[in-house]
Amino acid sequence: MSLANLAGFSVKYCEKMGVDEAEALAQSQRIVEVVLERAEIQSERIKNQRGIGIRLIKDKRLGFAFASTLSKASIEEACRNAKSLANVSIPNPDWVSLPTSARLPNPPNGIYDEKTAGLSGDEVLNLAMLAYDEAKGYDKRVDIDDGKFSTIINEVAISNSHGIEAEEKTTLLQGYLICVAKEYGETSSMAFEYDVTRSVDDFSPERIGRVSAEKALASLKPKAVEPFVGRVILDSDPAATILMSPIISGVNADNAQRGRSLWAEKLGEEVASEKLTVTDDGLLPKGISSSSFDFEGVPRQKTPVVTRGKLESFLHNSFTANKERKNSTGNAHREGYNMLPLIAVSNLMVKAGKKKLEEMISEVDKGIIVRRFSGNVRPESGEFSGIAKQASYVEKGEIKYPLKETMISGNAFQAIKNLIEIGSEIRPTFLRTYVPPIMVDKINIISK
Amino acid sequence: MIVDLLKECLKKSRGYSELRHHKRDTFTVSVKDGKIDVLNSGIIEGVCARTLIDGSWGFSSTTVLEKGKIKEILEGAASLAEASKSKKKRAVKLASIKPHLDKYETSMKIDPRKIGREELVSLVIDVDKDVRGFSKNIVSDTVTFNIVDDELAFLSSEGAKISQRLARCFGSVMVIAREKGNIASAFETIGQESGLEVLEKTPLTDAGKTAAERASKLVSAKVAPGGLFHVTLENRIVGLLAHEAVGHCSEADLVFGGSFLADKIGKEVASKKVTLVDDGRFSGGFGTMKYDDEGVPTQRTVIIDKGICRGFLHSRETAQHFGVSPTGNARAWNFEYDPIIRMRNTFIQAGDYSLEELAEDIKEGFFLKGGLAGQADFNGEFMFGTQEAIRIKNGKFTESFRGVTISGNAFEVLKNVDAVGKDFAMSTGMCGKEQVNYAGIGGASLRTKVLMGGVR
Repeated sequence: MSLANLAGFSVKYCEKMGVDEAEALAQSQRIVEVVLERAEIQSERIKNQRGIGIRLIKDKRLGFAFASTLSKASIEEACRNAKSLANVSIPNPDWVSLPTSARLPNPPNGIYDEKTAGLSGDEVLNLAMLAYDEAKGYDKRVDIDDGKFSTIINEVAISNSHGIEAEEKTTLLQGYLICVAKEYGETSSMAFEYDVTRSVDDFSPERIGRVSAEKALASLKPKAVEPFVGRVILDSDPAATILMSPIISGVNADNAQRGRSLWAEKLGEEVASEKLTVTDDGLLPKGISSSSFDFEGVPRQKTPVVTRGKLESFLHNSFTANKERKNSTGNAHREGYNMLPLIAVSNLMVKAGKKKLEEMISEVDKGIIVRRFSGNVRPESGEFSGIAKQASYVEKGEIKYPLKETMISGNAFQAIKNLIEIGSEIRPTFLRTYVPPIMVDKINIISK
Repeated sequence: MIVDLLKECLKKSRGYSELRHHKRDTFTVSVKDGKIDVLNSGIIEGVCARTLIDGSWGFSSTTVLEKGKIKEILEGAASLAEASKSKKKRAVKLASIKPHLDKYETSMKIDPRKIGREELVSLVIDVDKDVRGFSKNIVSDTVTFNIVDDELAFLSSEGAKISQRLARCFGSVMVIAREKGNIASAFETIGQESGLEVLEKTPLTDAGKTAAERASKLVSAKVAPGGLFHVTLENRIVGLLAHEAVGHCSEADLVFGGSFLADKIGKEVASKKVTLVDDGRFSGGFGTMKYDDEGVPTQRTVIIDKGICRGFLHSRETAQHFGVSPTGNARAWNFEYDPIIRMRNTFIQAGDYSLEELAEDIKEGFFLKGGLAGQADFNGEFMFGTQEAIRIKNGKFTESFRGVTISGNAFEVLKNVDAVGKDFAMSTGMCGKEQVNYAGIGGASLRTKVLMGGVR
């Protein structure tokens, strides 16, 4: 049976058991993975996984069960398990309905690539080796600590009792390297670089190798700086972690409805500098989490989140949308078939500014640039604190020296109000956000 | 029987081959603001093959448990090993071990398989009620309880045949408080490798109360100051220090790459007060198993003994390279991963100070409580988050601040440990190193100096 047939079969089976509503999500993945460790290829893995998750409702009571074996017998058992859980559950008065069927948009361009889907273990290994050779060849002082390169072919089919029947196939290619540089008995901090694309043609392992080596070398011979409060240029990755994760939490409709979001009552109000515009675009061509439907089978869309500093919309799945009698924004998300849908961004796009990173640096009188953040962000309050890694002191428009044992701290919700500059060089990050370097002000820079 | 099927399949395997079967039965109930948010159960089951041919590994996994498919992944692993051999610069050799034939099961008083789900659902509902009732400023909460019941089988072409059942029961409470435009969250966990008796030993409602109290108090508190401070780390977060500052750098794969412990065997790396252990057999520990995923018996491995570095954590491969015995630290998250060197239960042994005595000699400093995520760097620099910082002034606890991330150089922080408490506690941890895994983290409250990432 195809995934779509399995999903359809499950829904019908649940209906026969006498539930009010049922939904099945069947998933199949083929992952080819190459792991580098201690500057060596540690292992190559080929993983084939399939599974199905059954969500059903009986008298407003929820039950969910899953199985990794897709035989008829194990699917039926999962359906029965879901029902017996619904029986011991308690009714949720806020429950309205699973989503109803709607016309789906055309699949976004470039989310499936035949060539990428066909990559063999050996070809993925070659990609890893290209990055490896580039990093090793860049400078003798550079060592590779670890890395991973993987390609995923993902197939999903969703079916529910209100006529939703959707299926889609995507590819994803991702890779990272962690390098350190060693000189005169001194070891640099770990430098991280990555790439993530839908297609092997857009993937640049050489860049991963080169940039991770560069970053490692640039953090040798660090010096301490006197503590101060001031400007920080966050490279894309730390900008996503520090500034975007509180925004992601803040615009989550479930958080807003529960009073977990500081933005709960701020729709239409100014929440950030007018330089900041953020859009959730589930249909972005080649987007790393683009698809024609979300994890409940609801059409993906483009949703303005923050426009010139003003809060425009929260992101919904069908449950939170129903609660407010609104339409879902198509942001239901699951980490896998074995999880219930939550709310997550699809491709959260920060609108690019005009300046390149070098130009941003050239305009800083006194500040630091941070290329990796090793710390904690409290998404509800926006408080963040952690170590500034691959960080350098900037003075009079120039990078002076790498920083030693330096921490940064502040509040992201304040920081996006004190935004100085948004850079022009946007890139995807692992948080499903597309973010350029961002310069913020009044950040605590702490050292011994 | 799956074990017999695996044994049959291994008969004609090539090189050195392992087959692992893993069946993970999970149950989760999560209540958010009085309503059931997650009620989920299911089974993920599969088999993987790992094959070593002429010093080169290959790995393949499947969720289809049929003879044909298992033979196919064995062959797949072998051909991967052969295909990538020319690209590998080092030939892997394994330390020899005795192939074990054994069965093991987590010791438990209340087997989670024998308890109705209804009971657990109502328990979580009750805890949620208590939490929300704690204070008016609590606006939202999530209470979660999980059972992860693993059945593992390990068979090798050397003749090993090991079955293990590991049951983990654990829960968490997340609380959000709001007041006058401020917001604060707090998080607490309970859990161990055992049956449901963990709920009697450490009631989820106590964790709920701690979290509720903390969020409710911190909502009106300021963020802690930044800078280098004398601190007392609460017992429940000392395990994070053991894990992040030392544990990772003692993993032989990191040692091999040149971590800060690389040339330190027999040398002083910490104050005499510090004895640091990674124990694979700690009763109830979150990372306890009798055999690791290479079929090696686990053990109590002393990493630091009264300040002196004594040993590292090994797989069969690194043990061979370093010329020592494997320590049973090769662990895999599930059948989709090959085992890598991981900690099991890592802790700092208790001393004899009371909390008051630990604070006594601090003129100006903080008592840090409640753990958040942490990370270790190759060069010995580590960090982890804390939720609450209580100021210590002239040996007395004063006002509370919102906790911040702390960091330090492992060497310095361990050398600065001048007193260790007697209040030993073991907690649960999730560690991410290429693949996640359960890890026990433990210790007793201790005193040292760290850099606090607070405000100026």
